[in-house]
Amino acid sequence: MSDSSATKPAPVRRKLSAGPLSTGDKWFFRTTSIAANFAFVLVAFILIFLFIQAAPALSSQGLPFIFGTTWDNTADPIVMQIGPMIWGSLLIGAVGVLFATPLAISLSYLIVFMLPKRLSSVATNLVDLLAALPSVIIGLWGLFVFSPVASEWASVINSYLGWFPLFHVDTADNGFSGSPFIAGWIVAIMIVPIITSITREVFSQLDRDLINGALALGGSRLSTLRRVILPTSSGAIIGGVLLGLGRALGETVAIFYVLQLTFDINWGQILEPKGGAVASMILAKFGEATPAEVSGLMASGLILFVLTLGINFIASVIVNRAQPWRKNQ
Amino acid sequence: MSFAPRPAVQPWARVNKSRRMQVILASVIPAVIAISAIFLGLDRSVTLVAIFLPLQVLAASYVGFTAFGKRGVGDAVLIVFISFFAAFVLVLLSSVLFSLVTQGAKALSWTFVSQNNIYVSNTTSLDYGGVGHAIVGTVLIVGLTTIVTVPLGIAMAIYLTQSQSKIKNLIRTLTQAISGLPSVVAGLFIFSMTITFSWQKSGVMGSMALLPLMLPTVARVAEEALRLVPVDLRYAALALGAPNYRAFFQVILPAAKSGLITAILLGVARIIGETAPILLTVPINNGTSWNIFSGNIMTLPAYIYGYLSSLFSTSQNRAWGGALVLMILVAILFTTTRILTRPKSIKSKPTKQKARK
Repeated sequence: MSDSSATKPAPVRRKLSAGPLSTGDKWFFRTTSIAANFAFVLVAFILIFLFIQAAPALSSQGLPFIFGTTWDNTADPIVMQIGPMIWGSLLIGAVGVLFATPLAISLSYLIVFMLPKRLSSVATNLVDLLAALPSVIIGLWGLFVFSPVASEWASVINSYLGWFPLFHVDTADNGFSGSPFIAGWIVAIMIVPIITSITREVFSQLDRDLINGALALGGSRLSTLRRVILPTSSGAIIGGVLLGLGRALGETVAIFYVLQLTFDINWGQILEPKGGAVASMILAKFGEATPAEVSGLMASGLILFVLTLGINFIASVIVNRAQPWRKNQ
Repeated sequence: MSFAPRPAVQPWARVNKSRRMQVILASVIPAVIAISAIFLGLDRSVTLVAIFLPLQVLAASYVGFTAFGKRGVGDAVLIVFISFFAAFVLVLLSSVLFSLVTQGAKALSWTFVSQNNIYVSNTTSLDYGGVGHAIVGTVLIVGLTTIVTVPLGIAMAIYLTQSQSKIKNLIRTLTQAISGLPSVVAGLFIFSMTITFSWQKSGVMGSMALLPLMLPTVARVAEEALRLVPVDLRYAALALGAPNYRAFFQVILPAAKSGLITAILLGVARIIGETAPILLTVPINNGTSWNIFSGNIMTLPAYIYGYLSSLFSTSQNRAWGGALVLMILVAILFTTTRILTRPKSIKSKPTKQKARK
């Protein structure tokens, strides 16, 4: 026993390190980190490939591509300017967010503070179901069912509030369908679940003592919501609204069916049946686009991507900062 | 300093019967007035907003005031408005589902689900032709995307929950930002690749275009699922000498199984109805094709899109029928996830579940 141990060399001192020790672990972590860094690769690839195809249009059109208001594929050289589309996207996004935010806050308040537990889980499921509706189905419903109803609302609003510039209509005889108002409602339906899911989570994480304290001091539900709940959760709500805005700007098919796309810029008459949306314009023009136009569409896509990625990134930072309980691991 | 006399109103006292009557009257009277106004010929939406809502607010405020004084008014106003808004969203959702079912049922039949679209024109009767080829294409394209995306998304989720790296938060934020990627941009991205490398449009291109849309959903939900597994389980496995990968495959993966399946199903539900990327990258087909690597292939969203803009009523019926089939697929996925995520307290941290509600 003793001589056999004498012949054995002294065991090598074990290395202490923070990294993975076994080969299997090394591969495990290498694989997962490659997968995680794929997020960067994806964004880089999208930017690079869109840019490769967009470069001819961007270099030939220059800055007016973003601010100009003409798209003429018969002119020589071809003129492609998407100012009205970018403005239209922003307008529809703003209208959609304006409609969706009160609805989403109401739903969250209802789910968290008013309904009994069983009903509130039913309501949560219904909101999730609304989120699961594909946009082509919303577009189908919007075209055949919602547009007629909403254009009736629009005509009512116009007949009572038409003196106000926002609700003024220049050509009332065309009917009221195809306006940014209707597109805004369609977008609102699609972003209500996004804002609701974030607002609901923040509401349910609020300090109940704070709310009960406000109620005990004689506050009503309304004053508690306005002075306690909304100020403490405003960060997350703003983040959720921005996420919704990002989704609204990128919405394609649903808007394509309910909006009258024109390159005549609509500054803010939301009931006027003319508007624009970058994503829908890409879809509308894609079918019979010449190679030069395809390059212009790629450039539009690039601008849309940069715009939405920026908004979504800011929104995600705000939401993550406003949900500190998610960082505890 | 002396104590104030005990107030006559006791806020903690139970609501008595006459008050319950008041509440019932306050909810019924405005509705009755509004309905009679509609019968008298007033416009429905005008009545709802200009007559019913103010009356309801007034009535509820009156009841609130008699019951609780000034603070009752605030309660009443808030409750009325919140119920109104929530009911509005509920009406919109039911309107979508109702019109889908009633309109789609006209087209739906076994023929419609099993046959393809060859020799079908805008005026062909609904007894012939259907979405069989589109179902095949959708399942193949979405299936390929799922096979590629799921390992990637779950690996991402593992990295986000287990690694100690500093860029973890950046990756999480970026993933969340990609989840808002406009679907048309995903399509343009792959279309641009096909031009740059002069590839042919095909089903595979559609699968690639759907990948960036599915990945963030899978990664995020899988991360939530992995996070619900108590970290002590992993530490115990590591302390017993298991390497990290075996701790994952033998301890964490079984514990998080239902959550990960939910992640997959939610990812599929997210992309199954995506239209714009498919339209930009997959050539349409009227016949059935099982080959996604070359040639034309049809998908459900493209089918709906194709028939939607037609003015013929049978074509519109076909669009609704296709939408109903798509919605049934989504509903199956959705219900399965709900069944899987039904709260099971054993698997999750008790404190966390309490906080999460």
